Amino acid sequence: METERTLSLERAHQLADQRALIERVRQGDPSAHRALYETHVERIYRLTYRLTGLEHLARELTQDTFVRAFGSIDGFRGDSAFGTWLHTIAVSVTLNELKRRKRERARDAPLEDALALTQSEPYSDPLLREKLMAAVNDLPEGCRTVFMMHDSEGFTHEEIAAALGVTAGTSKAQLARARGKLRIALAEFAEEWKP
Amino acid sequence: MTDDNKNDVNDNRYDFGVDADVVSQSDPRFDAWVAKMAPTLNVPNAAPRQEMWEAIQAARKTSRDAQAGLLPGVTPLRRNWRLMSVIAAALLLGVAIDRLALRRADDARVAAGPTSSPGSRVASVPATNRDTAADPARLYRMAAAQTLTQAEALLTAYRASGVGERNPSASRQLGSWGREVLSSTRLLLDSPAGNDPQLRPLLDDLELVLVQIIELSGAPLDESDRALIDRALQDRNLLPRIRTAVPANVAVTTSSE
Repeated sequence: METERTLSLERAHQLADQRALIERVRQGDPSAHRALYETHVERIYRLTYRLTGLEHLARELTQDTFVRAFGSIDGFRGDSAFGTWLHTIAVSVTLNELKRRKRERARDAPLEDALALTQSEPYSDPLLREKLMAAVNDLPEGCRTVFMMHDSEGFTHEEIAAALGVTAGTSKAQLARARGKLRIALAEFAEEWKP
Repeated sequence: MTDDNKNDVNDNRYDFGVDADVVSQSDPRFDAWVAKMAPTLNVPNAAPRQEMWEAIQAARKTSRDAQAGLLPGVTPLRRNWRLMSVIAAALLLGVAIDRLALRRADDARVAAGPTSSPGSRVASVPATNRDTAADPARLYRMAAAQTLTQAEALLTAYRASGVGERNPSASRQLGSWGREVLSSTRLLLDSPAGNDPQLRPLLDDLELVLVQIIELSGAPLDESDRALIDRALQDRNLLPRIRTAVPANVAVTTSSE
């Protein structure tokens, strides 16, 4: 009981600090911009990197997310946490960019795919890892986003739901669906997870 | 799957696939294995905080400078009425000079008599008239360059307005700016500049996107509104085409004459 009260007090203090910081950003305080950036940049960068697999693209999308957020900070009403609002922007700019690139790739040589594979972290079984990555990339966009946010980056279903504007139930269902599709795609490697 | 979830996966914001509402049977062993593997996919390096911060600051400064009219070639919103008057006047002047020059050329051809060959028509026009007749093309290109520069600034401002934009006055301001650029675009389409085979398709596409921005400017844009405009922008590859057209086809030609 005491712990719960302490946690809720701590949360209330955090929200109050966040509101004060955002108010300073609205008033054009440069140090507040920087403080807000420093608080959230790591998670936004990790998310964009997970979804794209390309360092330069993750960097651009992170920058784009913050430029948009600072530019429309007056539109942030505080209904959700600032981090959630930022995640919504980050997911939106990332998925739009990936769609654009997908269309371009359909026209051009798949150079970026090759680059993405060569930049990947090594794994004990490169073929399995490559197959898994390919299967993840073949998932429908929303399903893939839920899978990467939950299983790769550790977002909760509530956080994913808020960022994507869906219910937590949808997030759970899409995660189960993603895993189901991956299991079928990787059936030839079944001994990896079966005892 | 609940009704809420079905609505979520069918609302087009994200592509959940054609079988989005099919419930998959889970295999706890696979789920545990894939949950262990997933963190090894696209593992991020350390965020280059300082570099990204500098880029963000630079982008925000550029945006502020554009609004303050400090960027050459980018005219801020408050000067638009004056700019529009100049563009309209340039177009009207161009049309008038063009017609006058054509009429004089016809008069000269009649005066030269019926024995003149078609090739002698231009030669019979006085040199001063030929020079003047060349001017309208330059004026149209100048007007096109100014309109496209405005369009680029507008579309950049639209993109920078962000998905979280809920400010109705900002949305209305964007719509009002869009109307001005649209008027100028339509003037160009109706002028001889509209016959330019490179410029025409660009102006047609620009007109369509501007109409969408204006139509949706009465209220704050939600994500589906923005998705509509974003798709039109992306499908037509509009911003890159404008950026290419201004220096390559318009501004350079104009300055070289």
